[in-house]
Amino acid sequence: METKTKQKLSESILDKFSIDFLRSQVLKNAYGNDDTVIARLDPRILLMWYLFIGLVPWFVSNLWFLMACFLLVLVTTKLARVAGLVLLLFAVGVFSQTGYLFLVSLLFGGDTSTIIPLLILTLKVATCSLASITVFSGLDPDRLSNGLMWYGCPERLSFSISYAYRVLPMLMEEFQNILLSFRMRGNPPAHETFRGKVRYLFYQVQVVMHAFYPLMLNTAKRSRTTVEALEIKGYRYAAVNKTVKKMKLATLKVTYNDLLFTAVSVLWIALAILASTLF
Amino acid sequence: MELTKKQAATQSQKLMVFVLTMALYGLATLFTELIPKFQVGIVEFSVEYFFFIPLTLAMLFDPLSAALGAATGELVFSEIMLGQFGGLGELEKFITVTIGVYIAGRMVRNPSNRAMVGVAAITGTGLQMLMGTVVDILKVQFAVEDFEAVAGLPESVFATEGFAFLNDLLFSGILFCLLPTLFLVPKLYGKIEPLLGMRPRDEKSDLGRISPKILFACAAAFIAAIAAELLATSGMPLIDWEAEWAESGTAVALGIAAAAAAAVAVIAVIKVKYGKEKVPQK
Repeated sequence: METKTKQKLSESILDKFSIDFLRSQVLKNAYGNDDTVIARLDPRILLMWYLFIGLVPWFVSNLWFLMACFLLVLVTTKLARVAGLVLLLFAVGVFSQTGYLFLVSLLFGGDTSTIIPLLILTLKVATCSLASITVFSGLDPDRLSNGLMWYGCPERLSFSISYAYRVLPMLMEEFQNILLSFRMRGNPPAHETFRGKVRYLFYQVQVVMHAFYPLMLNTAKRSRTTVEALEIKGYRYAAVNKTVKKMKLATLKVTYNDLLFTAVSVLWIALAILASTLF
Repeated sequence: MELTKKQAATQSQKLMVFVLTMALYGLATLFTELIPKFQVGIVEFSVEYFFFIPLTLAMLFDPLSAALGAATGELVFSEIMLGQFGGLGELEKFITVTIGVYIAGRMVRNPSNRAMVGVAAITGTGLQMLMGTVVDILKVQFAVEDFEAVAGLPESVFATEGFAFLNDLLFSGILFCLLPTLFLVPKLYGKIEPLLGMRPRDEKSDLGRISPKILFACAAAFIAAIAAELLATSGMPLIDWEAEWAESGTAVALGIAAAAAAAVAVIAVIKVKYGKEKVPQK
């Protein structure tokens, strides 16, 4: 009975961590939350906000201020309804950067006095990454690339962002199909013994490497189609044309919501500064 | 006539190579991002499992487009899409990847020459890793002020970084960069180029040897990368915020807070009014 539930549990975990799961998470992250408060804000304001929240905490080591910044980005991340996988990656990342230091210092007879400096470092790291998560996965890719373009980023970059979000699900599906067909035709080595397991691992790595051969050819064909379609629409001339850029960016508009968001953020930060000077 | 020109690829073909490399390498780095990294202190055992993809494409096509495509792909797919964007620090990765791939691509004059492909693959990988190691060492040196004073610290940093570099080069460099590139380049050579409407690269359509100018440009870019990385990681107070607060901080902060509170109130009132006016119109 117990082994059965165990087996079931491991199966369900493995099931979750498949390419399909990844694809749905990435898609959800990109397009699943365009009805949130954050997604409706103006990308230019949000990028400016990110520039402040993502940069300033690195230069300040006042606990009150950092705590306030962290709470602020915590709220915005909640508002942006970020996909679970991204948050998991964030947690693992923060822990691997600072969390384990605390454990190690406890192991070597450290006491609670190590908490404060570590907390400051952790807050800095966490604030910056949460701010970037809010902005880069809370925003619609198209709006994000428009915002970047407004600040004069090269057209290539904003094209890449929009293209990446569209092509990634297709690429993942294709890669999975190729892997499946390799698995169908392949003859994996027996993996009961330890040596067999090592050989099996090498076999798997080899299959992944081999799978890139057809994938490269298919993607080459696809990228030619993409570029030719772009050429038909006059992409290379449009990319450097000022009138086209103006038309493209005409949808950006600062509303009262944006102003309110900015004002509330400024108020919160100002209160934090006030608190840090008082205590 | 067109084919005898030194510039082997047209603008749209370059864009195709860019898109191709970006999509493939981006997909691959998305997987790498999900594999946890081993990090011992500041030393990172980062394994670039899929570095062979841009290397292969840079050897077959225009190296600069492939290099830029690879770096952009990594930035967009694995950093921005997963919300892991690290700000200024990402510039270092971008530049080192570009340089490594570009140099490797330029080294190969004839992709059917296996020996050269192998040498170029390991050089490009090694170059990229070496630059990362140098940046890591500098990072520690700048972050710890009395670097020389702490007993045994310089030696231990050099030892761990050197070990990480050798380990990366010998383990992932050979297993994940050299072998797949040696397998893929001859196999794709002559097959993938017609799909993009190009002629396979050979001695004639070569872009020429690596000139000192290119090396100089690479060195300059590398210095920029170091500067960006140091700026991003160091907690150096570039702007002296805290001193300012200490003097007349409370009053200023109070002023800002009051102004912001007033702004919030005003905007909220306008918004409510605006909303009310709009509702009857509907």
